[in-house]
Amino acid sequence: MQLRSQNGVTLDLLPTKQFKTIGIKVDFVTPLKATAITARALMAQVLETSTAAYPTQTALARQLSAMYGANFGISVLKAGTQHIVRLTCSVVDEQYLADYPDTTPLFERGMAFLKAVLFEPLLPHGQFDPTTFTQQRQNLLTAIKSLDDDKQYLANRRLQELLFAGQPTQAMSALGDITTLGQLTAADILATYHDMLAHDAVHVAIIGDVTADRAQAALATWPLAERSTQAELPYYHWQPRTTVQAGDDWAPVTQAKLNLAYRVPVYRNSADFMATVVFNALFGGTPLSLLFTTVREKASLAYYASSSYNPYTGTISVQTGIQAENQQRVLAIIADQVAVLQRGEIPGNQLAEVKASLLNARLTILDSPQRLLNGRLNAQLTQVTTSLDQ
Amino acid sequence: MLTKQTYARLGEAVYRTTLANGLKVVLVPKQGFHKTFAIMTTDYGSVDNHFVPRGQTEPVRFPDGIAHFLEHKLFEKQDHDAFDLFGKYGASANAFTSFTQTSYLFATTSQLRANLEILLDFVQDPYFTPATVNKEKGIIGQEIQMYDVDPGWQSYFGMIGNLYPKEPLHIDIAGTVDSIDKITADNLYAAYQTFYHPSNMDLVVVGDLDPEQTLAWIEANQARKTFAPVTPLKRIASPQTAPDQVVAHTTKSLTVVRPKVSLGLRGYDTVPTGREGLRYNVAVSLAFDLLFNDTSDNYLRLYDANVIDDSFGYDFVTQRGAHFGQLATDTDQPELFVAEMQAILAAVPQQLQAAQPQFDLVKREAIGRLIGAINSPEAIANQYSGPLFAGSTLFDELAILEALRFEDPETLATAFFAQSQSTVATILPKG
Repeated sequence: MQLRSQNGVTLDLLPTKQFKTIGIKVDFVTPLKATAITARALMAQVLETSTAAYPTQTALARQLSAMYGANFGISVLKAGTQHIVRLTCSVVDEQYLADYPDTTPLFERGMAFLKAVLFEPLLPHGQFDPTTFTQQRQNLLTAIKSLDDDKQYLANRRLQELLFAGQPTQAMSALGDITTLGQLTAADILATYHDMLAHDAVHVAIIGDVTADRAQAALATWPLAERSTQAELPYYHWQPRTTVQAGDDWAPVTQAKLNLAYRVPVYRNSADFMATVVFNALFGGTPLSLLFTTVREKASLAYYASSSYNPYTGTISVQTGIQAENQQRVLAIIADQVAVLQRGEIPGNQLAEVKASLLNARLTILDSPQRLLNGRLNAQLTQVTTSLDQ
Repeated sequence: MLTKQTYARLGEAVYRTTLANGLKVVLVPKQGFHKTFAIMTTDYGSVDNHFVPRGQTEPVRFPDGIAHFLEHKLFEKQDHDAFDLFGKYGASANAFTSFTQTSYLFATTSQLRANLEILLDFVQDPYFTPATVNKEKGIIGQEIQMYDVDPGWQSYFGMIGNLYPKEPLHIDIAGTVDSIDKITADNLYAAYQTFYHPSNMDLVVVGDLDPEQTLAWIEANQARKTFAPVTPLKRIASPQTAPDQVVAHTTKSLTVVRPKVSLGLRGYDTVPTGREGLRYNVAVSLAFDLLFNDTSDNYLRLYDANVIDDSFGYDFVTQRGAHFGQLATDTDQPELFVAEMQAILAAVPQQLQAAQPQFDLVKREAIGRLIGAINSPEAIANQYSGPLFAGSTLFDELAILEALRFEDPETLATAFFAQSQSTVATILPKG
C-alpha cells in the first residue's frame, strides 16, 4: 500500500504478521553518471561507519546490538540507467522477545537510527572526519581490487567492459573505478552527500506488523526537502553489432571461465518481457535448462553452466567454468542450444516445467521480507505493477 | 504418534516422531507461508571413509570424496533423473555434503505430497552402474577445480589441514581428481547400504503444512518399502593428531590481490553430549563475539591500525568428533594480525573480564539473529541438529541463549581456549 507519493518521495507499507521482524528499506535513486558512481559508493561506505551520535564504528555497532542485533547496511547498485544508494535496517518485532526493557518500540528506534545515519553524519569542522574518510577510501580500494580474486566475478566484469566499451556508466561496476577513487577528497564526498539528499528520488518501503500511522509518523520526522524528479525510465538501449566481439584474458588458474553476452532488446515494459523470462529459464536460467542439461549433464564439460537475463539493459549473459581446451566444444554446444530455441524445438512438458518453476520462484518471494522490499524498487522504477495472478 | 512442543511466545510449534523403521521426522508448520522446505539428512559425510560395510565383518577403507560422489549419483536413476521429477512440479531441489552429513532437499509452493514422495523415493532407491559412475567423474572433477581456484576455500582448508593432519577432516569434501577416479559402483552401494538406513537419517519439513496429514503421507510411503533390520554402525576411528603434532604454520601462493590469513584453534577439551553440547557451542560462540565482534575494543583498535578490515570474520564450529574456531581476514600485515590475535588468545580470562560490560549487548544481538532466522523455513530446517545435539532446534537454541549468564561463556570458553592448539594458514599473492 502506497502511503505517500509527493515531491519525489514515496512511502510503501507492506503490512503483514507473517514475519518476526520489521524491515525498512530506503533507496536514493539518480540517473547514472560515470563521474558520480565512485563518489556515491565511497559516500555510502563513509555514512555506514559512524554518525555524530555514534562517532566510532564500535559505538555504532553497540547501538545496533542494543537494538537486538538490528541488521543495518548501506549498499550501492545499478539498475539499467539508474544508480541506487540503498539503506536497509531490519529489527526484531519486540512482541517476540522474552523481555524488552526499553519504552520505544524497535521499529521507531530503527527509523530513528536511519535518520541519524542520513541526516546527522559525523561532520567535525563541517567535513567528513578525515581519518574515517581516508580509511574507508582505502577499504573501498582494496574491496574493489579483491573482487577480482573471484575469477567468475572477474570474467563477468571483463565481459561487461567488452560489451559496453565506450559506455563507462554501463561498463563500470556499481562500486566505481579505482582511478577516480584515488582522486576523491572528503569535500567531493560531502558535495555528493548534499546532492543526493537534495535531488535524488527517495523510495521508502516498510514491511512487518506496523500500522500506516506508525510508518507515516516515523517518516514525517525526517527532513526530506521537496524535490522535483523526472520520471525517467531505467532502460539502457543499445545498437545491434555486426560482429561478435571477443576478448581473452590469461591467468594461471586450473579452471577457465567462459562468459558470453547476447543483445536481447526486450525490457521490463516490453510486450515480450514474460516470454523472455521464460526463454532465459529454458536457455540457462534453471537446472532444467538446455545449458545445464547439455553442457553439464550430457557432455560433462562443466560443473556450472547458466544464463541470466537483465531486463534493464536488454542482455542475456552466459557463465561457465570449463577446461580451456574445451572452449570450442562448449561454444558449439551453447550455439546449438540457441538454435534449438530459435527453432522453437522445446518439448511441451519442458516448457510447462520451466513455467512451473518460475511460478514457484515468484511465490517464494512472498516468504522473504527482504525480497518483497527490494521488489518495490522495480515497481517504482518501471511503473510496471504486475500482480502474481497475472 | 507426533509429540508437539509449543513455543507460545513465538507462535511456533515443533512436531516430532520416530517411525518404526527408525527414520526421525520433524515437522514445523509455518502459518502464512507459501513455501515448504524439506530436507532429508544422513549422518554420513566426507570424514566417514573407513568403516565396516553393513552385512560384512571386516573394515574397508573407501576412496576420498565418496560421500559427496554418492550424493551426486543418487539423483540419477535407470530411466530418469530425480531433478526432472521435482521439475515437473516446479519445485527446486538440491543436495550438499559436509564433513559429517549428506542432505537432500527441495522447496515447493505446491504439491507437497508429490514432492515428498519423490524425495523419499529417490533417496531410498539407489541406482549405480559403472557407466553412470564414470560419467560423473568429469563433472565432479570440474567442481574440485572450481574450489582449487577459490582463495577463501583454500585458506579455510589450509587451516583445517593443519589442525587435523591425521584425521580425514583434512581431506577436501569432494576428494581429489585422483581419488574420485577410483570410486566404483560397488563402493557406492556398500556406502549406501551402511549409512542410508532410515535409522541413520532424519527428515525435517518446514512450511505450509498440516503435521498430521504430512506424517500420514510419509508413513504411507515408508510402509510400501522394506528395510534391513537396524544394526549398529561400525565406523573405524581415525588416528588422532596429538596436540604437539598440530602443524603450526603453512603458506601457499595464489593469484590473490592481498594476503589472506586464517588462524585456527582446535579444541582438545571435551564437548558435553546431547543438549549440553549445544549449550557449550552457544556459550563458546558468545565468547568469540565478546572477544572479536565489532562491539569489542579489540576490533576497533585493530581496524584503526589497518590490521583487519571489513573482511575480518570468525566462527566456532562443533560437529561430530571435532570442534574448532577460526579467525580470518584479508590483510597487508599478516604477521601482525597473527601476533595480535595470539596476544588476545593468551589472555582470554582477562580479556573476557574486560569485555563483561558488553555481555548484554552481544547476547541481545545473538537473540535478535535467531529470532530473525525464524522468518526462514530453510534456516529452521538447517538449524536442526540431528544426532549431534540430540535433535535440538533453533527454538531450543534460543531458549538456551536466553538463559545464558556471563559466567557460562567465561567458564566454558576459558576451558576451550586453555586446551586448544592453534595454527596459521596464510595465502600470499603469487609473484
